[in-house]
Amino acid sequence: MNNEKSFISKLKSYLIFAGPATFAFLVVMIVPCIYGLYLTFTNWDGISATHAFVGFANYVTAFKDKDFITSFVFTVKYAFFAVILTNVIAFLLAYVVTSGIKGQNFFRAGFFTPNLIGGVLLGLIWQFLFNDLIVYIGTNFKIPILSQSWLSDPTKAFWALVIIAVWQGIGYQMIIYVAGFMNVPKDVLEAASIDGASGFQKMKSVILPLMIPSFTVTGFLTIKGAFMAYDTNLALTAGGPYNSTEMISMHIYNKAFLSQQYGTGQAEAFVLFAIVSILTFTQVYISKKLEVEA
Amino acid sequence: MITFTKYKILLGVSIMKKTKIMSIMLTLAIGVSIFTGCGSTSSGSSSSANQKVTITLLNSKSEIETQLEDEAKAFTKVNPNITIQVMPVGSGTTFQKLSSMYAAGNAPTIQMNDPGDVAKFKDKYIDLSSQKWVNDADDGALDVTKIGGKMIGFPVCTEGYGLIYNKAVLDKAVGGSFDPTTIQTRSDLEGLFKKIQATGVDALDISPLDWSLGNHFLPISYSDQSNKFNDVATFIKNLQVGSVNLASNVPFNGLMDTFDMMKNYNHEKKDPMAGTYDNAAQYVSKGTVGTWFMGDWAWPDLQKAGATGQFGFLPLPISNNASDYGNTQIPVGVTKFMSIDGSQNSKAQQAAAEKFLSWMVYSKTGQDYMVNKESMIPPFKNITIAPQNPLAKSIQDYVKAGKTLEFMTVLPSDHYAVLGADMQKYLAGKENRATLVTDIQNYWKTVK
Repeated sequence: MNNEKSFISKLKSYLIFAGPATFAFLVVMIVPCIYGLYLTFTNWDGISATHAFVGFANYVTAFKDKDFITSFVFTVKYAFFAVILTNVIAFLLAYVVTSGIKGQNFFRAGFFTPNLIGGVLLGLIWQFLFNDLIVYIGTNFKIPILSQSWLSDPTKAFWALVIIAVWQGIGYQMIIYVAGFMNVPKDVLEAASIDGASGFQKMKSVILPLMIPSFTVTGFLTIKGAFMAYDTNLALTAGGPYNSTEMISMHIYNKAFLSQQYGTGQAEAFVLFAIVSILTFTQVYISKKLEVEA
Repeated sequence: MITFTKYKILLGVSIMKKTKIMSIMLTLAIGVSIFTGCGSTSSGSSSSANQKVTITLLNSKSEIETQLEDEAKAFTKVNPNITIQVMPVGSGTTFQKLSSMYAAGNAPTIQMNDPGDVAKFKDKYIDLSSQKWVNDADDGALDVTKIGGKMIGFPVCTEGYGLIYNKAVLDKAVGGSFDPTTIQTRSDLEGLFKKIQATGVDALDISPLDWSLGNHFLPISYSDQSNKFNDVATFIKNLQVGSVNLASNVPFNGLMDTFDMMKNYNHEKKDPMAGTYDNAAQYVSKGTVGTWFMGDWAWPDLQKAGATGQFGFLPLPISNNASDYGNTQIPVGVTKFMSIDGSQNSKAQQAAAEKFLSWMVYSKTGQDYMVNKESMIPPFKNITIAPQNPLAKSIQDYVKAGKTLEFMTVLPSDHYAVLGADMQKYLAGKENRATLVTDIQNYWKTVK
């Protein structure tokens, strides 16, 4: 009877504090998700009043769609470079900014500011930079690689996307790494110095293992962000030139709303969801396994 | 001392009671305020004739957004009970915007659609066949919107496209007054381009926009197939079945040969994909290029860029035989229809919307807005105001001379995105004619 009472009272206090938020989360995210999953097995076109059950037909179409595979491979390439570059640069910046140089708080704020600019605005600013400003500089100073707009060539447009993803992301990840650096216990570092470890050895054997929780978080955020990228993709290239930089989110959105094949689009969205979930769960699982105590 | 402690305890309890009551009231207030956002978002009000009615209008013609808002205010001046909120589509297509608004339960009262999208909402739009303006609409203008026994569209504007030319530049090139009827074959056009280049100005600007190349340029090859509406429709059906061999199709190849010729004189030749709509509007306004492949909807943008002097349209000839169909004609047609939603708007709102549409056609202010301020060619026989904008005048000249092609307005919703991308590749030299033909034929086979 004691147990029963405390469960009900626990439930009561949960509902009072977290009830509204849980309700909102269920209604806005979980219920539409389940309804969407149900819709992938129907042939609804978005506006008619009726729809019929079609089984796995939408998933078959989704896998046969070769543009889906192309966009997916493109997004994987983009994610690979964006994740690695963002994390390496953020880590280095965090190291510099915690090493006690003058004005480091100013630098911390400064490096974080790009993250505050929203995706669409960011894309438009960089579009102007790539199309007009850099081309102007390239033609005036006779630098051939900058004389043509990077956005009109598929390969260069890919790198343009990576550049702005890194530029926007390093601030946020840097903050997480700074917190990680601050949490490395000073006595362990001192002990290592006393034992004669060099800076590089300290980094390799003491700091990195103790910062693995930070890597868990940053790895998860950057991988998810790279796979779900849509707003910067739309604003910078809109999938151009000629659909060569169409990432998977944009492909799914266009399939559903532009080509009006909602069933296929939603099925592709679930496939993406499954893939990204597996990827991030694996990453978090491995990171957690590697974590060590101080 | 005991009394004092008791007093403190009593005071403490009463303060506790007060704060407890305060906190309960605060929680209630915050809790209720969460639900204020859940109210019905439909923009309707009551149905009495003297009550104020607010209706919404979704405008998909971004170049007239400000003018349409002013027109709405002008309408409210004479009809104080009716307020019209004009909203632009913003990013994405009109269909995407409308699907999400219908799903959210706040579909606009008046919706401006491309002709191809009107049929998709046929269950939601009200029948307008009893409206007075139906008899005054141009012949054939309403054919596309007669669906399922109802007539569900109000034609907003007639538009046309071709090669916009800056008369001052062309006069200089030909050394006199340029006459557009002299361009009747591809060699005439190329000769003109050469003369323009000789004056030190680039002959033409091709904007690498997927909607321009995919939905305007390429479909000229469809309408050039025949001067009969039904034959063109059959051609499209044959494309879907896969029985058309574009590689041997004469009008298609003729158009693409003209395109190849145009590529040589393109101002953006060095980097064809870098051109933008706004830059091209500036070039042709200022005389930096002689011609621009675009339509008469661009007139407000040319005005903004400071255009002075005369402008007009040249056709896109597809052969060197002057009498071939398509050599001296430009595509002209109704490109936007407004429809009234009956499923999420009250009867009062529908009536107000019908009143506004009639006012646009029959009142002096409405006509002035349509023709002069919004630079549109009205698809109504009763509107006799002559358009001020030179591009519209040029189109009316072509219409009066009977020199028009069908403006392919009913194409699949992703035609511009898919085939526009292929046309961009062809423009940039990234694919050849054979690949383009395969891409076009394969795309049409996927269209249901």
